[in-house]
Amino acid sequence: MRVPWRTTLLSYTFLAPALILLGVFTFYPLLYGSYLGFTEYNGARFAQGLDPKWVGTANFEKLFADPLFMTALQNSLKYLLVVPALQLAALGVAVLVNKQLPGMAIFRAGFYVPVVTSISLAAVMWEWVFNREGTLNWLLRSLGLTSPEAQFGWLNSEVWAFWAVMLVTFWRGFGYYMVLYLAGLQNIPEELEEAAVLDGASAWQRFWKITVPLMRPTILLCTLLSTIAALRVLEEVLVLTNGGPLNSTYTALMYVFSKAFQGFDFDYGLASAAGLVVAAVALVLSFVNFKLFNRPEEEQT
Amino acid sequence: MKRALSILTLSLGMTALSSANAQTTVTFWTWYLSPKFDNYIKTTIAAFEKANPGIKVQWFDKQDSMVQDFIASVNLGNAPDVVNLNIDETQKAAQNGFLRAVSDFTPTATLNRTFYAQSLRNFTTGGKVYAYPWYGWINEGVLVYNPELLQKAGLSRAPRSSSEMLTYAKTIKDKTGAYGWVPALKDPNTASFLGFFYAEGLPIYGADGRAVFNSPRHAALLNQYVTLFRGGYIPEDAVRREAFQLATELYAQNRVAMIVGGPQALTRIKDTNPGLYAKTVVTGAPVGPANVQTGGSMALVIPRASKNPEAAAKLAAFFTNNANQLAFAKVVPVVPTTLGAQSAAQFKVTSQDPIAKATGLVGASGRFINPGYKAPGNSDDLYKNFNDNIEAALLGRKSAQQALNDAAAYWNANMKK
Repeated sequence: MRVPWRTTLLSYTFLAPALILLGVFTFYPLLYGSYLGFTEYNGARFAQGLDPKWVGTANFEKLFADPLFMTALQNSLKYLLVVPALQLAALGVAVLVNKQLPGMAIFRAGFYVPVVTSISLAAVMWEWVFNREGTLNWLLRSLGLTSPEAQFGWLNSEVWAFWAVMLVTFWRGFGYYMVLYLAGLQNIPEELEEAAVLDGASAWQRFWKITVPLMRPTILLCTLLSTIAALRVLEEVLVLTNGGPLNSTYTALMYVFSKAFQGFDFDYGLASAAGLVVAAVALVLSFVNFKLFNRPEEEQT
Repeated sequence: MKRALSILTLSLGMTALSSANAQTTVTFWTWYLSPKFDNYIKTTIAAFEKANPGIKVQWFDKQDSMVQDFIASVNLGNAPDVVNLNIDETQKAAQNGFLRAVSDFTPTATLNRTFYAQSLRNFTTGGKVYAYPWYGWINEGVLVYNPELLQKAGLSRAPRSSSEMLTYAKTIKDKTGAYGWVPALKDPNTASFLGFFYAEGLPIYGADGRAVFNSPRHAALLNQYVTLFRGGYIPEDAVRREAFQLATELYAQNRVAMIVGGPQALTRIKDTNPGLYAKTVVTGAPVGPANVQTGGSMALVIPRASKNPEAAAKLAAFFTNNANQLAFAKVVPVVPTTLGAQSAAQFKVTSQDPIAKATGLVGASGRFINPGYKAPGNSDDLYKNFNDNIEAALLGRKSAQQALNDAAAYWNANMKK
């Protein structure tokens, strides 16, 4: 069917504002940033008003020879462990709070509070939790699991700081994904559940045979968002550990941030190259997510 | 008549235009000074504008994002004209070509007459001074202590040397459970442990500019702190947090007995624990064998991208002159960087109030302001590596000697000249 040119023009006119904004604030920075990854563009060149200088893959060679970047990349990949834990917990709790019971709205709002809490406030709060004299040690001691002599500051431990920061990421993201799952759950037709109940299906069977298959698009979306967020984790690390101790919490985005934005010794070329590596990892993981969760309809039933 | 009117209109227009042209607007960025010091800054700006009718000042106070905002403004073509930076950032900005040398605007003789020689050296790189030194602070200016904790530890007087500080730290912790003090082992964004080497009289750089902070004597000093840290005599948070912040926080909770620093530490204690503030004793801080102190300073710089550098330099010189620095030191206990401050009557007042006493002790000692080391080229990377190595030693992952050897090797391989 041929679309009249007037209709086409009108459609593009409506699309134009969004396309222009996307072009200016998304596609241009993306392309320019990718280009910078192949250039030498540091504080000295910038201050002298010199253009970026093409250096091919030199930045990437430098990156992969830098032990700090390799540690940062490994930490970022390890950080992805938060994704399945976060998704399972958010989906599970969403199912629990998807009930029309009195006071349930308060529970839902409560879970969402960490999402809107500022990171500086969250940092102060979690400092109290993780300190040597903090609430976590108090709890463990009260339960008889540790002695006062064995206590330590969780954020100062090379072994535990990483998991402590990850717990904060979990806490901050949990409510957000739960709300998305809740929205997905409320789109599942009630008749399906009722029919399954009449057929004698248990709650567990209903969850796996009805809820999970129908929630697959939401699970894909949440997993994708969560994977990308885990690869981009920065704020929690900056305010709680600044990448330490011994770089055990130093992530790839922190490397990008330090090279691009910290002080006058910046190196946009190297930062952009590091950003491209992180983006490439994100793309590969997104592809894996699509393969896992975006099966055709007939396969799902 | 018509012609006369035309001439009149034209001449009026020309006059209006020339007066508009004569008005220069200077953009002035300070760092973390608002809202606490709004009154002082605004009063000084008003005085400057009165003395320079052709110059108008637009003041902005920047906080966390100062450096990023500065770089972005250069990129956007609207760079500020006068910017408040510290020693380290000034060095980095100058090394990368962001700043104009102040000798382009003010004769060297005038600079030498106005500021302490060391203050000018703090802002010198490549043989040129890149900033008008502004207010400063002395890291070892005063020793602030809680007399009850010292008494409980069986100590009748304040420590008199840096080695005595180390002994005190052990005694106080063993006898009271509180920490002795919080040394700046690895403050973020700097290489604070180098200051301990400087205080000990140990060199940081050799004559050829190479890093030489890995001699056995350097390692022995680091090892003393490692032993204290691993023995639990220094708060473990000291590897993660800025020492000054941590020290003032713990002192106010009676968990640290002493703070080595300037009067600024007392301001916070007065706010958070007035009872303890009233009991606090202030005395001269112990120094190391080199008999030197360390300290830092702020400065006013003129960006290369400034569109009004001459007027900017006038404003920077005005804010940093002796009278205005002394006036600022009356508002907040800072240490002026001007030679004239040495003889200022305001620092000769004796008082038992801790802040007034501390101010009197350090106010006229601007000549000692010295970080103890010059920011190396590529300092962000180098500082990070240095701190990572200090941390590795503190956490027992490397010996003190190995940590310093690794840091020195990294510095010498990556330092930009």
